[in-house]
Order: sequence, then structure tokens, then C-alpha cells
Amino acid sequence: MAVIKVEKPPFDKNILFAAMNTFLQIFRGLWMTNKIMFKQLLKIEKTDTLEWPEQPATYGPRFKGRHFLTRREDGQVRCTACFLCATACPAECIYIEAGEHEDSRIEKYPVRFEIDILRCVFCGFCEEACPLDAIRLGPEFVMTGTAEDKWVYTKEFLADRPELSGGIQTMRGSNDKHPSIYHQASADERKSLVRHGHH
Amino acid sequence: MSDSVTFKLDGRDVAVPKGWTVMQAARRENVHIPHFCYHDGLSVAGVCRFCMVKVEGRPKMEIACNLLATEGMVVETTSDDVKQAHKWGLEFHLVNHPLDCPICDQAGECELQNSYMKVGKYKSEMHRPKVLKPKNLDVGSQLILDTERCILCSRCVRFEEEVTKTNGLGIFDRGDRAIIGTYAEEKIEHNYQENLVDICPVGAFTSKEFRFKQRVWFLEEKDSICNGCSTGCHISMHGKSNELRYYRVKPKHSAVNGHWMCDEGRHSYRYLNPEERLSRWWYKDNMNERIAGGKDEGLSILARKLKDTNIDEIALLVSAHQTNEEYEALLAYFVKELGISKVYQWRQDHEDINAFDGILLRGDRNPNTLGLQNALTKFGLKAEVKNEFEKCLLSGAKVVIALCPESPQSFPELKEHLAKLSEMPFVSAWSAHYLPEEIETISHTVPLKGFVEKRGSFTNHEGNIGELSDPFPAVIHGAVDVCEMIESLRELMG
Repeated sequence: MAVIKVEKPPFDKNILFAAMNTFLQIFRGLWMTNKIMFKQLLKIEKTDTLEWPEQPATYGPRFKGRHFLTRREDGQVRCTACFLCATACPAECIYIEAGEHEDSRIEKYPVRFEIDILRCVFCGFCEEACPLDAIRLGPEFVMTGTAEDKWVYTKEFLADRPELSGGIQTMRGSNDKHPSIYHQASADERKSLVRHGHH
Repeated sequence: MSDSVTFKLDGRDVAVPKGWTVMQAARRENVHIPHFCYHDGLSVAGVCRFCMVKVEGRPKMEIACNLLATEGMVVETTSDDVKQAHKWGLEFHLVNHPLDCPICDQAGECELQNSYMKVGKYKSEMHRPKVLKPKNLDVGSQLILDTERCILCSRCVRFEEEVTKTNGLGIFDRGDRAIIGTYAEEKIEHNYQENLVDICPVGAFTSKEFRFKQRVWFLEEKDSICNGCSTGCHISMHGKSNELRYYRVKPKHSAVNGHWMCDEGRHSYRYLNPEERLSRWWYKDNMNERIAGGKDEGLSILARKLKDTNIDEIALLVSAHQTNEEYEALLAYFVKELGISKVYQWRQDHEDINAFDGILLRGDRNPNTLGLQNALTKFGLKAEVKNEFEKCLLSGAKVVIALCPESPQSFPELKEHLAKLSEMPFVSAWSAHYLPEEIETISHTVPLKGFVEKRGSFTNHEGNIGELSDPFPAVIHGAVDVCEMIESLRELMG
């Protein structure tokens, strides 16, 4: 068995300073933390932290949150069941069943339009693929729930959420046509699309 | 070499029979010339003016579909001026096209879309409102007509004139108000309507049967042979194997059926979907109660029954709906190995085998009559096409193995026949089709695969052998074909 002889290193005075410096930094950090805590506690300084959910949190208009379906002026969903969102969806979470509309001018409408929100990756491709501006990703980001809740959003749920009224536009005129496919769209309409921050 | 001409097509020498057009030559040589009105199965109309090609030495471009190939001709299909002609030809077709692709069933297999991606890609210079025309018209029992989408290629008019000879369609009005329509509110009622949907290069004709059911780009295509009658049209079945559903049938060009097929054959997909299919093995358990069970139990019950019965008291009742390979396996086992002599043909009570509608549909609604005859002859049984169903009922057999016809559409008496059969002591019905009431009374059932789910072949009325070579996975879990059944029985019987 080999024995390695190790010499005891000479005592370094600098190590004392290093240790003292460590404690000093800890107290400096704690001082900063406590200073801000008490300032905010005593309302001397404004805090950036929200007391969510008591305080509402808002995101910018381009935030891609929970989907909704827009409606025509007469209240029907704009969706014509063209399946382009379902085709574009990388998570394959959109299920559509198309049917014959009783109004022969509309012809096709979604009998069922369902999004499996647990599969959705919120990429927004459905919104981009839609030629009729019928599906959008809205500002809602809170999608908590329990296991018993329905995670497959139905057409009724997607098209009819009163809490979305106000801030964002969920309804568009039935004669509106998307400028990228219809040349006849007026300048006003193009402007209105821009104003709502959708394009 | 007087019956062949050689000309230059895009710089290479092409030899074609005399009388061929440049379009025919280009299609054979896989040179793509965009076209709408030209169709291999119809006469040349030359109305769409889209298949422009440049012939050296001629001042103007000409249409390839009506340009006879002549000796020494030099044809150019890819030069810049030809490309320009195609591009602006396409814009001219789209001047009044509504571009309602989102609600159009043709989207995905539309010639306008394909042509735009191949030769179009222009920025439209049209800023006038489009001419509006009647949409969503009910013009036939299988058809919806949208005159706005129509580009007036007249393929449908020629089809009605030349193939069905019903002359049901015409072009009315002139200029940009010209529309396709039927005469005086009359509807198209013949059995070949959905061919109009196939040949329509745009979405003017759409099928009521397939309307809004599915987008075409989601569908898988697999080639098969129609089981609707003894013509044996070559088809491609369109379905989704992950959804276990079939959506439609389209004809495939072949010497047997040309470009067409009948509507009745197209509806065969209905009887292949899970809700129409026998899905369980029904049998009586030890307590003599009817239950729907699994394959192993069902097989062993049938094997035990066959073992316990005298060979003379076993009968086979065979319909002409199975493949040649299945007959071969069935007869090789039961006739050759077991020595059964009671083999009966199962056919419709009222049928006119030699009836023919002049286009494709035959009176013999069984796809494999000839195949069954050949197999019967091979195993030394009398081979004469006749219905021996009554004979089977009176034969006094204790065990009947009945190979049921696959679709009630081509075998309307299936229901009553099964009801009569259920009075026999023990019937094992091997069936793909599900008849809820009758199946309750039959002693033993075996779920078979549908014809698009098997490998094998049908022999049509002329002796042409059509291969079922590209099967879909069976939509019924645990469904078997007759060959697999025979193999399992052979194992169990020892």
C-alpha cells in the first residue's frame, strides 16, 4: 500500500478576508431585499407583481390564447367548414363536421366544430389559415379546470362567450369579404381590419 | 412506315400512329399541356383554348387537342410565349369564377387550382365585379350544379351526348352569361350521373352523396375491383384508414370499364362502413344463450359442430361474392379433404344474367360468377349458373355454412333468404354485411372482411381477372377472410 505524503499548506491570511466578504455580500443582498419589501409594504414604492387573480392581468392584442369563433351580423358563425384550420393544425386538435345549410346562399356550415384544447399548442396556424377570419385566438389565457371539465370545446362554447364582448371584436358584417380574396373590398374595410389589430 | 408519323415535341423525336393529335402524343410522352375541355374518353371540342402550343413556321399558336400530328412538325410547349398564353388563358377562365374554394368539394382536385399552381401564379388584373349566376341547383338525383363555378368546357354536355346518349344537358345563353343547364326543369336521372362530377374539371358538378362529407386531401386511395356486378370495373376506394371509414368510389381507367362506372357501383362504399358491417361472432354458449363473443370461442364452437356432424349432413351455400382464392381454399378443404358433396350456389331468385344496360351495368349482380364456376369445375362439381338456395333448404343438412353476399344492394333478397335460412338446425353465416334482425336468429356468425380489405382476384363476365392487390385495413376488429377461416378450421379439426 502506497502512502502519499501531503504537506499541510501554509496558512493564507486572505482566506479570512474572503470569508468576511462572503458574509458582507449576504447582508448587502438581504438589505436590498428587505428595503424593497418594506418600501412596497408601506406603499412607498409601486410593485410590478400583480395580485392575480384578484387583479386582472392583460396581454397585448396579439396574444394567442383561447380560441373563439366570430359571427356574422345575423348571429351565425362565420365559419364555412372549409377544413383549412384542421389541415394546418400541427396538433390535429380541430374536428369539424360540415353540413348543408338551410339557406342555400350559405350552402356549407359546421354542424360540429370542436377543439381539443389539451392537444392544442397555441401556434395560431388555424387563425392564419382561415380565409374568412372565422377563428381567432383571443386574450384568455386562464384555462384551468378539473378532470371532470370538458376539455373539448364545442362550437357553441367557441362562438358564444359573453365575457369576450367589449375589448375585442367578435362580430363582423355578413357582407364583409376578406381583402386578400376579394378585390372588391373597399378601402374602408381594409382600414377597419387594420384598426382592430388583426392583420 | 406510312401508318406512323414522327414529329418533334419539345426537341425530342416522337413517333405516334397516324391520326393522333399532339395532345394524345404529349399525354403518352408525359409532357404536360394544361387543358380543361380535352378528355381521353370524349370527343374533341376545342372550346377552352387553354392547351396552346407553338408550331414552328405557323404565325399563331394552336390548340394541341385539335392539332393533328404530321410528319416533321416541330412543336414547342415550354417556350416563354406558350407559357404566357397558358397564364393569361387561365386568367380569362377565372374572370367570372367565384373562387369559393372553401365551400367547394372539388378543392384539392380542381383543375383550376392545379393549373394556377403549375402555369398561373399571376396577379389578377381584373377589378370589375364578377357576373353572378345561379348556384346550388338540384339537377339530378345525385347532382348539385353550380353554374358560377363552371368554365363551360362542355365535357358534361359531350358526356350526355356520347356516353349515356341522354342529351340531358346544354349550354344556354351567350357570352359571359352562358350557363350549363338541363332542359325545361327536367332532371338527370340515369345511372351514370357521378361521372359528370368526375369529368368536371372544376366544382360545377358536385355529388350529393359525397357533398361536404370530407375534404379530398384527407382521403387515402387504394385500387380495387367493384363488386356491384359481373363487369368488374376497376375502381379506387377513397377512405380514411385511421378513422375506419370509406367515403367514396371513383373509377380507374382500364380496358374493362374505360373511364366510367355506374352510380350503383359507387354506392358500394356505404355497405363497407362499420355501422353496416357484421362486427361480432354470435353463437350459443353452454347455457344455450345467444352471445356475441370472440373469435377463438366462435371458431371452436364451429369446429366442434363440424366434428360432431356426419359429413353427408354438412352443406356449403356459396354466393358469388368471394374471391377466386377464397373459393379455391374453401373447396380444397371441404370438398377435397373432408369430402363434402352438398355444395350449393346461392344466387338471387329473380335475375337476368344476360341483361346489360349498354354501358357497363350487367344483370348478373355478382362480381365473381365465373370465378365460382371455375372453382366448382376444378373440384369436380357440376358447374351451371343457377340458384340452388331452395335446394339447400330441402337438402336436410344439419349444418349449413353460408357464404353470404356482401352487399344487399346487389342482392336485394338477402333479408328474406337469411330469414328462411335461420329455420335450418345450425347455420353458420359468414358475412360482411350486418342485418340486425336476421342475425339474431342465425345460430352462428362469422364477420368477414369486405372486398376492399382482402387480397385476391375476381373473374369478370369475360374471364378478365381483376386483382384486389392493395387492401385497406379491416374496419371491423377481428374480421377474417375465408382463407384465414379455412386455415384456422384446419388447425382446430386436426
